[in-house]
Amino acid sequence: MTPVLKLENLSVALPRGGAMVSILDNLNLTVNAGEMLGLVGESGSGKTIAALSVMRLLPPRARITGHAWLDGQDLTALDERAMRKVRGRGVGMVFQNPLSALNPSKTVAAQIAESYRVHNNVSGTAARTRAKELLGEVGIVNPGGKMDDYPHQFSGGMRQRVMIAMALSCAPKLLIADEPTTGLDPLIARQIMALITRLRAEHDMGVLFVTHDLSVVEEHADSIHVLYAGKSVEWGTSKAFFEHPRHPYSEALLGSVARVGQARLQNIFGNLPEPESRPPGCRFAPRCRYRQPDCDLAYPPPDSSAGTTAACLYPLAATARATYAEPDHRRAYTPGPAQLEIQNLEVRYTSTATFLRPASTLPPALADVALTLGRGECLGIVGESGSGKSTLGRAVLQMISYSGDIILDGQSFATLRGAEKRNLRKKIQVVFQDPRESLNPRIKIGDIIAEPLRLAGKTSNLRDQVATLLNRVGLNPEMAEKLPGGVSGGQAQRIAIARALAAEPELIVLDEPTSSLDVSTQAMLLNLLKDLAVDTGLSYILISHDFAVVSYMADRIAVLNAGRIVEMNDTAALISAPQHDYTRALLGAAPQLRDLAKMSASATII
Amino acid sequence: MSTTILQRPPGLAAAPLGKFVAWLTAKNTLAAGTILGLLILFVGFAAPYLYPVDPYAINPTHALEAPSAAFPLGTDELGRDELALLLSGGLATLIVSLPAAILAFFVGVAYGLASGLGPAWLDKILMRLLDAILALPSLIILIFFASLVTLNNTSLILLLGFISWPSLARLVRNETLAQKNRDFVLATEQLGAGKFYIARVHLLRVMAPILVVNGTFMVGDAIFALSALSFLGLGVQPPQVSWGSLLESGLDIIALNPWWLILPPGLLVFGSLLAASLTGQGLLAKFGGTR
Repeated sequence: MTPVLKLENLSVALPRGGAMVSILDNLNLTVNAGEMLGLVGESGSGKTIAALSVMRLLPPRARITGHAWLDGQDLTALDERAMRKVRGRGVGMVFQNPLSALNPSKTVAAQIAESYRVHNNVSGTAARTRAKELLGEVGIVNPGGKMDDYPHQFSGGMRQRVMIAMALSCAPKLLIADEPTTGLDPLIARQIMALITRLRAEHDMGVLFVTHDLSVVEEHADSIHVLYAGKSVEWGTSKAFFEHPRHPYSEALLGSVARVGQARLQNIFGNLPEPESRPPGCRFAPRCRYRQPDCDLAYPPPDSSAGTTAACLYPLAATARATYAEPDHRRAYTPGPAQLEIQNLEVRYTSTATFLRPASTLPPALADVALTLGRGECLGIVGESGSGKSTLGRAVLQMISYSGDIILDGQSFATLRGAEKRNLRKKIQVVFQDPRESLNPRIKIGDIIAEPLRLAGKTSNLRDQVATLLNRVGLNPEMAEKLPGGVSGGQAQRIAIARALAAEPELIVLDEPTSSLDVSTQAMLLNLLKDLAVDTGLSYILISHDFAVVSYMADRIAVLNAGRIVEMNDTAALISAPQHDYTRALLGAAPQLRDLAKMSASATII
Repeated sequence: MSTTILQRPPGLAAAPLGKFVAWLTAKNTLAAGTILGLLILFVGFAAPYLYPVDPYAINPTHALEAPSAAFPLGTDELGRDELALLLSGGLATLIVSLPAAILAFFVGVAYGLASGLGPAWLDKILMRLLDAILALPSLIILIFFASLVTLNNTSLILLLGFISWPSLARLVRNETLAQKNRDFVLATEQLGAGKFYIARVHLLRVMAPILVVNGTFMVGDAIFALSALSFLGLGVQPPQVSWGSLLESGLDIIALNPWWLILPPGLLVFGSLLAASLTGQGLLAKFGGTR
């Protein structure tokens, strides 16, 4: 094994509030030729900073110390001119959002050819030929016909392929992929991962894969390196890690990944420490359930007495994982009386007429949707983007016009007008995907939560009511005085939930409520939603592209494809015995579910 | 509205002028604009007390005198004290342009919100109407209407108020369209809130920086428009003077080189525009980042 990339005590400090703050501390790792290393961590762990510092793409005032050896050459010692040669030729890079990384005004062939010509002295025709070859290599069908298209003419997955083609144009020894599949549909993400895996084998290329998604690492990476708050906590081969994680943080992280058949996700209490106030000892200690007094004294030395190396004084024994279990809050769901009925729902979007083009009718976004939701039930809606799952949510919320009937508590929305309709509509509340968008940045959190109360005229003891609501979603009542700008994504979602609860709804539509959150934050939020349902008898419609999340939460799942429900069944039955090909494909793209299908089947028998 | 227009191009900072611009466009813009603006307002309204000289006292023996101890800014061809005229003209200018700007502001915001939040057909009608108004140069409209009506303060306020709201209305309408489908607005609709509530509590608050900035610019626009009208003889009517009419009467006899009759009114119009513009830009820079 020849090492392609070797990081030695790589540290990065960035200017923050006038002082240099250490973001990444003494990172040591090696990526071998033909090998994929998964650099894993939650937001704020420093994983992206690590990747960018290898390429020296950090702001000019950043301070990088230590060494980054690429093929025996120390990148930290190179000047900017030499570094430019390394970018692209020595190292290829793929980012999370391909649309913002591609130039919208140039054809994809021109962009690939450009990066090829910058590093090779070749003619335009030769570069074009190379671009065509590369597009073929990354799996673009009919590369000759597509090469002169612009990025907006490609789908998300295809754009990511174009990015990969650009990264590969000079046959780099190392590919740095920073969350390349985040934001893609599961099926597409799976194809991209397969592509990266194939290319690294063909080109004997090392891959530094930066991600928060443990299941992708488990499936594709040879080795893993887990970061927490800028420090390595555990590293080793991927196989050893997933068989027996030894650091309590790794264990907690794995425990917070939603899986079917799991009684309860693990809560990692507390928050990630800010870079300025990281604890002197083990950085995870304040949140660790196995914390001992000496954990706080100094950063623990690496311990490699078992499969992986863990920076922990008390690494977990192989049996430890099984001994700890969160209390089981699962409720046995028995279908109650129907609360919500949807009959023959159809939604069509029409393109508006313009001067040159008459209005045309597009294929329906939703067609023939019929379902019933029982009181207290959580119904999961799964599908890819464009499947109509968000449209279904919006129709239920009465945000868009539709044909067909939606009946809540025996009252049909179609027959109601004005105040009567508004009052019925109020019983259905919503939590959106983007925590930043769902709160008005100029209104104090307390006022946001008080909004439903004010609108309903329940203004007595407003402060106390708001404090109670904040407590119910696990937030400190003091937060009422803050503006939303100062809170984290997870906190913002809790505030959105508190606002929804303040309207005393019967049903909450959860539209991808956790998909922009970190795994551990997601786990806590999902647990909160489960507890709220148990306490209040709320029903949920949970919309998500993440089969694992839905299977953890939902009593029943409906699979949506191209605007139609292709399969609907109890969660356990749907996962253990999917009937439709599309369901099977979606399940296949959710790695953490594949092995567990059997387990859940046996769990339901009990 | 973006703040990028305020960022100075690299390299400018090295030149002395660049340094001055950098100083102005930094946090001092707001202070400089506000101080200048307040100074003009104060002088305008406190004029009769600060300099109690009758601006309309004709004194043919002292006609067209250059500035001296007796007449700090000289006299005009009728021997009237130019400083007293300027102060009186300033007050006349401000009591018309400030209400006009406020009127235009409210009309613009209301029109824009109605267009953005109302049904699609209303939006279409209101926007086509706006296009029609914007298609004609505002000065032409002003001159046309000014020639039809009796000119007094009320009619001038209405006239000036009428011409400067369309651009704000369009801005508010576009901003409303951009904001009204944001998740926090949808969540509020789901709570049963009406359009007025959404406009008042959510949209206006989110748009506040844009509104404040453009409101400030509108004051400058109104002063400029009034001065232009007065210059053409269609603004504040004699015997009352205004900055525009003073400038015009100075220019009438430019052959005699009465610089004290031309420069001061011109500089005052320029100073008010500068004050409004600096304040607006300062506010924009201050709020721009927190959208």
